[in-house]
Amino acid sequence: MDLALTDSQEMLRSTARTFMEREAPVDVVVGLQKAQSSLAPDLWKKAAQLGWLGIVIPTEYGGSGDRLSDAAVLYEELGRGPLPGPFFSSGVLGALTVLEGATEEQRRRILPGVASGERVLTVAITEPNTSWGPVGITLAPQGRNGSYVLNGTKLFVADATSATDLVVAVRTGDAPTDVSLLHVDGRARGVTARRLPGFVSWQCEVAFDNVEVPASALLGGAQRGWVALDRALERALPLLCAYIVGGCQAVYEKSVAYTQSRVQFGVPIGRFQRVQDHVVRLVNHLDSARWATWEALWKLDTGRPATASVHAAKAVASEAYLEACNAAHEVHAGMGVLVEYGLAAHTQMSRTLFHYLGDPRWHKRRMADALEW
Amino acid sequence: MDFEVTYTEEQQRFRREVRAWLEANVPAEGQRTPTSPEDTLRRYLELRSLGRKLGAKGWLYPTAPAKYGGGGLDVDHAIILEEEVDRLDLSLPPYYDSGGRLGSASILVWGTEEQRQVFLPPIYRGEVRTWQLLTEPGAGSDLAGVRMTTAVRDGDEYVIKGQKIFVGSDNGTDRIWLIACTDPNGRRHENLSWFMIDANLPGISMHPMELMGTGGEGGTDSGVKQTVFFDDVRVPALALVGGENKGWTVATTHLELEHGGGGRIGRNRVWDRLLRYCQETKRDGVPLSQQQDVRDSLADIYIKTEITRLFGLRNFYLTYARKPKSYEGPQLSYYRKTTGLWMTGAILETVGPAALTTDPTWGSPAGFLEAQQRNGIVSVHPGGTTDIQRVQMARRIGIGRSTREKAGTVHGAEA
Repeated sequence: MDLALTDSQEMLRSTARTFMEREAPVDVVVGLQKAQSSLAPDLWKKAAQLGWLGIVIPTEYGGSGDRLSDAAVLYEELGRGPLPGPFFSSGVLGALTVLEGATEEQRRRILPGVASGERVLTVAITEPNTSWGPVGITLAPQGRNGSYVLNGTKLFVADATSATDLVVAVRTGDAPTDVSLLHVDGRARGVTARRLPGFVSWQCEVAFDNVEVPASALLGGAQRGWVALDRALERALPLLCAYIVGGCQAVYEKSVAYTQSRVQFGVPIGRFQRVQDHVVRLVNHLDSARWATWEALWKLDTGRPATASVHAAKAVASEAYLEACNAAHEVHAGMGVLVEYGLAAHTQMSRTLFHYLGDPRWHKRRMADALEW
Repeated sequence: MDFEVTYTEEQQRFRREVRAWLEANVPAEGQRTPTSPEDTLRRYLELRSLGRKLGAKGWLYPTAPAKYGGGGLDVDHAIILEEEVDRLDLSLPPYYDSGGRLGSASILVWGTEEQRQVFLPPIYRGEVRTWQLLTEPGAGSDLAGVRMTTAVRDGDEYVIKGQKIFVGSDNGTDRIWLIACTDPNGRRHENLSWFMIDANLPGISMHPMELMGTGGEGGTDSGVKQTVFFDDVRVPALALVGGENKGWTVATTHLELEHGGGGRIGRNRVWDRLLRYCQETKRDGVPLSQQQDVRDSLADIYIKTEITRLFGLRNFYLTYARKPKSYEGPQLSYYRKTTGLWMTGAILETVGPAALTTDPTWGSPAGFLEAQQRNGIVSVHPGGTTDIQRVQMARRIGIGRSTREKAGTVHGAEA
């Protein structure tokens, strides 16, 4: 048993933290919040040079093929920002979906560009019904002259406004898991991506209006899409959780520092047990998310059955981020809602990720199924 | 990271040896719930006898130093022992001996060589059981405010007077330790002393307090506690551990352990049985476990037991890898206690009124759910209330203060 990071993980953490402090301090993160596209080209290029966009892509496809737990160290640091950008959408969920679902030829064609940052992937799953299961995938392509034609809408697609390539889950049969994956050019005629307005971070509507894609766009085989997506999600979700853990950690550190510096009634507010209780609640959520996430990562990296742990981790982390931000707002009062202070970016992200790829109740139910109760 | 202990071939052989030994030596139905006061005593005596056998092999306190009668085993072997007794729903020690566990740690850290040699071997070998005496009528959460029990030096002895409450369990004890006020005019934290004494000295008397818990000698939450009176009890000066007026320093060691600093590896025994109950019990012809509302409640309960397990595992690792700790001990204690209390409501909602009765026909097997309904509440206070745990956490996080409070020392070698 050893619950410490390895030396190389410590080095990666230190590199990533230095990068974040230099390239993405609070004012940069706050400045990005209103941009249509989450991708900041300069940051994206530097991250690509550091090898971060291909961190989970195997070396034969141009990545560095690191273990998930190594990638998690990086994602914790990105989450501290929270740094926007399609890091997870493209480099993790997009890449792993292609890896699980595509043919060898397709992998060789798509993945090297993802690792280098030239291609930006995102996976379009849910629809106006906002279900994250296979049954919720209803967008059915029509066949025309051996190609597919798409008409319809995908919703809550992360970072679609910066994606060059879309992986679209479509319905191709009547059985619940008769789902296929189509690789669609994000700039093709008839594809419109729009960032959804409001208290949500770079979740997009993607509309398809008579979008014609060739038969070769089918990733892997027909009806194999859900299995591929499910397997990709099992490995991707813990990295999203790691991003959330980093977010919780940053929110915690902000809150502790604020209780030490903010003076009211002649003393730092941390002297008040009511205020302390918010910080205690926050750190309990932070640590719950951290250890549930890391145990799932460990199971995946060592080939143990991990399905139940992964669902538990996403359920715990989603709830933790939301509650951590709530506690932080109780600590910070007015200062916390001042946009330039930076807490609000976390709060909005915590709401976004609460639902993204499945909310706590959804994942708890899948956990119960995996445990065969 | 590695969340699991990996075992060598030698350690696997040790596991087989332990399992075979336990099968031969643990009395049949050793973990049954007693049915009467006589049965409680009989069961206690069985478990004490098992404790002496374990002690003779060095398995009662496996990681305690061999030169004082402990097992002298490394952590990996100790984990194997704990896992194997856990399979039988027992712990080490198999009866209520938290005074031995906590007191021996304090003596190892703060005692003189002579005190270690006198006090530790009987504990480690299972020859004595020990209770801790901390709380007084006027000093509960404010433990450093102990005033009622005093000790006054008289030649080579101390004379102890006063009263302690919420002590021990049932069936008596051999040893006790306590903190007493040795300087009524002294400064807070510098006016207390820590004594390890014989429980049968003249002038000590005990009176039972009936609690709403159902208890049992295997756990820490006995249904019976004692009020202990000291009427001019004379104890030898050797009983004073850590020096006069240094009692609070000595106490930081056992308080840290009691606040969860040591961590824990093991199953949640309520969870396994709760799930089985819900799979085997039908409502409207359908097993509870197949009803969506029940599954949702079970998932909520399971996740909280998992987080408790992970916090316990982390603290166990931090302790035995000798890593620095901050708020993690009281965090585990706080989380475990609030989860247990919350679970009383969650289980009642999930299972219904069958959780409230011990009736063999209409209740849960051996009334385990009814026991949780009581013990989830009783367990909130021993070893410090949930509010005290939060205060500890805040101090160690360093909020509102210029310096952080440190976790108590739990390693003998660091003394």
